[in-house]
Amino acid sequence: MADTIMAGQVASAWRPAIRWPRRTTLVAFGLLTPSLVLLALFTYWPIIQLAWQSLHGQQKVGTAPVFTGLKSFAALFADPAFRKALVNNLIYAFGTVLPSLVLALGFALALARSNRINTALRSLFFLPVLLPLVAAASIFLFLFLPNVGLLDYYLGKLALSGPNWLGDPDVALWSIMALTIWKNAGYYMLFFLAGLQSIPADANEAAILDGANPWQRLRYITVPYLKPTIGFVLVIGLTNVVTQVDHVFVLTKGGPADATNMLLFYVYQQAVENYEPGRAAAGSLVMLGLLLALTAASLRTLERSFGEPET
Amino acid sequence: MSVSNREISPKLGYGATLLVAALWAVPFLWMLVAAFNPESTGAGMASLVPAYVPSLANFAEAWGLADFPRYGLNTTIISLGILAVQFVTITLAGYAFARIDFPGRTLCFYLFLLQLMLAPVALIVPNLVTIASLGLYDTLLGVMAPYFASAFGTFLMRQAFRAIPRELEEAALIDGASIWQRIRLIYLPLAKPSLIAFAIVSVTSHWNEFLWPLMVINSPDLRPLTVGLATFTRGAEGAQAWGVIAAGTLIVSAPLILAFALFQRVFVNSFVSSGIK
Amino acid sequence: MTTTRRSLLAGAALAAGLALTPAFGQSPTEIELFFPVPVDGQLARDMATMIKEFNEGHPAIKVTPVYTGSYDETLIKTRAAMKAGKPPAVSIMSANFLRDLQIENEIQPLDALIKADGKSNDQFMGQFFPALYGNAVLDRSVYGVPFHNSTPLLYINAEHFKEAGLDPENPPKTWAEFAAAAAKLTRREGDRTTRWGIAIPSQYDTGGWLLQALTYSNGGRWFNVDYAGEVYYDEPSTLGALTFWSDLVKSKVLQPGVQQGGAVTTAFLSGQASMMLNSTGSLTFVRGNAKFPLKVAFVPRNLQNQVPIGGASLVIPTGVEGERRQAAWTLINWMTSPEKSGWWSRATGYFAPNMQAYQLPEMKVFLGKNPDAKVAVDQLAYARPWFATYKTVPVRKAIEDELAQVLSGKKSPKEALVAAQKNADEIMKPYVEQTALKLPSN
Repeated sequence: MADTIMAGQVASAWRPAIRWPRRTTLVAFGLLTPSLVLLALFTYWPIIQLAWQSLHGQQKVGTAPVFTGLKSFAALFADPAFRKALVNNLIYAFGTVLPSLVLALGFALALARSNRINTALRSLFFLPVLLPLVAAASIFLFLFLPNVGLLDYYLGKLALSGPNWLGDPDVALWSIMALTIWKNAGYYMLFFLAGLQSIPADANEAAILDGANPWQRLRYITVPYLKPTIGFVLVIGLTNVVTQVDHVFVLTKGGPADATNMLLFYVYQQAVENYEPGRAAAGSLVMLGLLLALTAASLRTLERSFGEPET
Repeated sequence: MSVSNREISPKLGYGATLLVAALWAVPFLWMLVAAFNPESTGAGMASLVPAYVPSLANFAEAWGLADFPRYGLNTTIISLGILAVQFVTITLAGYAFARIDFPGRTLCFYLFLLQLMLAPVALIVPNLVTIASLGLYDTLLGVMAPYFASAFGTFLMRQAFRAIPRELEEAALIDGASIWQRIRLIYLPLAKPSLIAFAIVSVTSHWNEFLWPLMVINSPDLRPLTVGLATFTRGAEGAQAWGVIAAGTLIVSAPLILAFALFQRVFVNSFVSSGIK
Repeated sequence: MTTTRRSLLAGAALAAGLALTPAFGQSPTEIELFFPVPVDGQLARDMATMIKEFNEGHPAIKVTPVYTGSYDETLIKTRAAMKAGKPPAVSIMSANFLRDLQIENEIQPLDALIKADGKSNDQFMGQFFPALYGNAVLDRSVYGVPFHNSTPLLYINAEHFKEAGLDPENPPKTWAEFAAAAAKLTRREGDRTTRWGIAIPSQYDTGGWLLQALTYSNGGRWFNVDYAGEVYYDEPSTLGALTFWSDLVKSKVLQPGVQQGGAVTTAFLSGQASMMLNSTGSLTFVRGNAKFPLKVAFVPRNLQNQVPIGGASLVIPTGVEGERRQAAWTLINWMTSPEKSGWWSRATGYFAPNMQAYQLPEMKVFLGKNPDAKVAVDQLAYARPWFATYKTVPVRKAIEDELAQVLSGKKSPKEALVAAQKNADEIMKPYVEQTALKLPSN
C-alpha cells in the first residue's frame, strides 16, 4: 500500500544498478537511526503503552489496574456512544474527503494556467489552511449562530429561517462537515496542481484530435494519470480528518446527543471525563486499525476502478 | 459538436469555480468586517457590508490581552526549529528508503506509516510523561521534540530522491564522493522543490497547533500564539466578543498569510514541481 | 485602605529589592497556579494582575499563573501534568469535578493545613456561604476552597418588557408568569420567529445545570448530596421540569434544539431574545455590553425558590508536599480572603464565596451602584450544591443527551427520563456495587 502511494513517474528507475558495498544495511540503518529513535520514543512506545492500558483496568475504584483481558474492548463495543461515534466518523470522513477531493480537482483544473487572477484564486482557496483550526471554528461558530449569526441574518433577509445549525441533532454533523471541507479543499488543490503537471501535453492533444470531449478526457486521461495523487490525497485526507477534532471542542463538544461525536473525541471523553483509561486506549487502537483499513480500502478501490497500479 | 463542447465545459467549470471562490471568501470577509467594527457583540455583527466608521478598538483590545510579539517569537522558534531538525531526519531516512536496498525495508516503511495515522491527542499523556522524564517539560524543545521525525516528510523525500537519475550518483561515486557529499551536493539541490513543499505543510500545521503546546508549556513567556488566542476565544462560560475574536484571529494568522502572499509563487511552483503526485 | 496597604507593600518590596537583597541565598518557593478563563480574555489579564500583587507581598513565594484553557482543558492539563510527575501546586477546578477527583485520589484533603492554622473544618468553612459546603466538603474532609461561584439567574430586557406591556420592575416569579411573559415577548413574521421570548443554554454542562435548577424549583432533589451513587432523574419533580422546558419549545417561545451559552448571550445582547436564563458569571460581561436597561431576577419557581450553585474551587493535587504545599495554602488563603474574593467578584460577576467580602466598604459602594449583583447573593439563601456524583460528567451527559432529544422533538420527556436514569445507573453501577451494595458475607 505504501508503495502505491509513492509510486512516482520514475518507478522504472527502481532497480539495483549499483553494486553497493557490503555495509549497505549498516549504512541504511545508520541513516534511519535518528528517525527511528524519535519514532520509538514518541510513537511506538506510546502505542505499546496504549496496548498495555487497553488490557488492564481498575478492579476497584481508586486502586491500581490489573489485567482484565479484552474487557475494555467489550465495554467499548457495548457502548452506544462509541458505535455512534464510529458511524459519525465514517460519514464525516467520506463526507468531507470525497467532496473536498472533487472540489480540489475542480479548482486545480480550472486554475491550472498561471495568470494573475488564477494565482489570486489559488491563494484564496489556500487561505483557510493557514488559519488555526481552533480559530476557524470560532469564526464558524458565529456563522452558525442561531438568529444573529451570518447565515441566519442573510436567510432572514430572504424571509427564511434556517435550522439550528449546531443544535439540531440532524443538522449539526453536516454543519461541521462544511467547515472541514472549507478548511481542507485548498490544501488538496495544491497536490492536484502538482499532479496535473505530470500529464504529458501530447496525451491531451491526441485525445482532442480523436474528438474526445472534456469529460471523456477527464475520465480517460486526467484521472488515470492523477491516480497516484488521488491515492495520496485520500490517505492524507482520511488521516487528517480522523485525527483532528479541535473544532469539535469549540463547536459542539460532540453534541447534541452525540450527533457530532467522533472516535478521537470519544477517546478524549473516556480518558479525561469518564476516567476510563482502558476504554480510551482500546478506542485509540480501534481508531488506528480503522485508519489503516480505510486507507488500504480506498487505495484498493482506486486501483480497481482505474486499472492496475503503475509500479 | 466536440468543438463546442470543448469550448463550453471548461468555461462552465471556470464559472463554477468563481462562484465557489465567492463562497470561500465569505468567512474571511466577515472576519475583516467584524474586526474593524467599533463594537464587538450585539446586533449588526453579521452584516458583510460595513455600516460603521472603521475602528481599531477590537485590535487594540485583542493586542492588550496577550503578549503577541513574544508569543509570535515562540511560535516562530517552534515552527522553524521543528522544520530544521525535520530536514535532517527526513533527508537521511528518505535517502535510505529511496536508494538503498536493505533487508526489512518494507517493514520499516510500514512502521513509519504508523506515525501518519496516530493522532497526537491520543498520545498526549504518554508523550507528556516521556517529555517530563527527558527534562523537557515546560520548554520549547519539549513542544518540538515529538515532531522531529516525520513520516510524511520521509515519504516526500524518498519520492523526490527516486526521481533523480542514478547516473549522477554513480558518477559521483566513481569520483570517490562520500555518502554525505552525494546527499548534500547531488540530492538536496535537486530536491529543493520537495523541501519547500514540505516546509509549507510542516510550518502551517505546527504554527496552528493548540492542544499539545497547551499541555507542555506552563511559563507565560513560552506560550505560542494559538494558546494566547485561546484566552479570548475559549471562555468557559457564556459570553463571546465576536469582534475581538475576529481581530485576534487576524493578528495570529497575519504573519503566515503575509508570508504566503509574498512567496506564494515560489510555494505554488514548488508544489507543482515537487513531484508530489 | 486597601490601596494604602498595597502601595506600602509594593514600596517595601521595592526598597528591599534596591537596597537589601532580601533572603540572601534563599530562593523563593516556586509554585504554579493552573487557571481557566471563565468568561472572557480580560479576566486572564486580571488574574495576572492579582498574582503579581501576591508575589510582591510574599517575597518567599513565586507563583506563576498558568492559563489552561477552558474548565475541561484545565482538567486534562492538571491530570496530564500529574501523570508526568509535575502536578501544579494549585488548580482552579470546576466545583463539580471535585467529587470525582476525590474518589480517584487525585486531590488532597486540606484538613491538616486547616488544623495547623488552629481552626476546625467548621470554623474554616464558616467564612463561606453555607450553600457552597456540599461541593467543597466531601466525607467530612475539606477538599476545595470556593473561589468564584455562581447561580443561574433570569436576565430580562426591560425595554422589551415595557414594549410588551409588562412591568420590568416586577419580573416573572413563577413558571406561569414566566411562560406568559415569554409568549407576550415573542415576535413573529408569518412562520418565522424574529424575536424569542426566552433563551436557555442547553449545551453540555450548562444544560444539566439549568435542568437541575428547574427541578429544584419544582421541589426535586436531582442527586443524592450525601452519596455519590444516586441520581433522581426519573422522578415526578424532574419530569415536571423537563416537560415545562419542552413546552416552551412547543409553544414556540424558545428555539428548538440545543443552544450554546455564547449563542444565548449574543441573542440576548442583540435583542433577539427578551429573557435568558444564564449564570451570574456572565453578569459583568452582559452588563457591560447591553445597550438596553438590564434587569436580573431569581430563577422562576413552580413549588419553591431553589437553585444549584456553580463555579470553581481551588484544589491542591495529590503529590504536592512540603514547602510547595505550604506555599499553595498561603496562596489559597490569600485568594479567598474577603478583599481578594470581593475584587474578583466585581471583575467577573461571580459572587464572592467569602461572606465577609460583602461587609467591606468598597463592596457596599459597588452594590449600591449595581443592585443587580445583589440579586445573585440574595438568591444564595435558596441555593444548594451542584450536581456531583461518581463519574460526574458522563452521568450528567446521560441526561443532557436526552434533554437534547426532547428539545429537538425526538423524544417525549417521560421516555427521555427513563432512558437517562437507566444510563446513569449503568455508569454508577461499579461504584454502587463496591459501596452501598457491598454487604457483609456473600
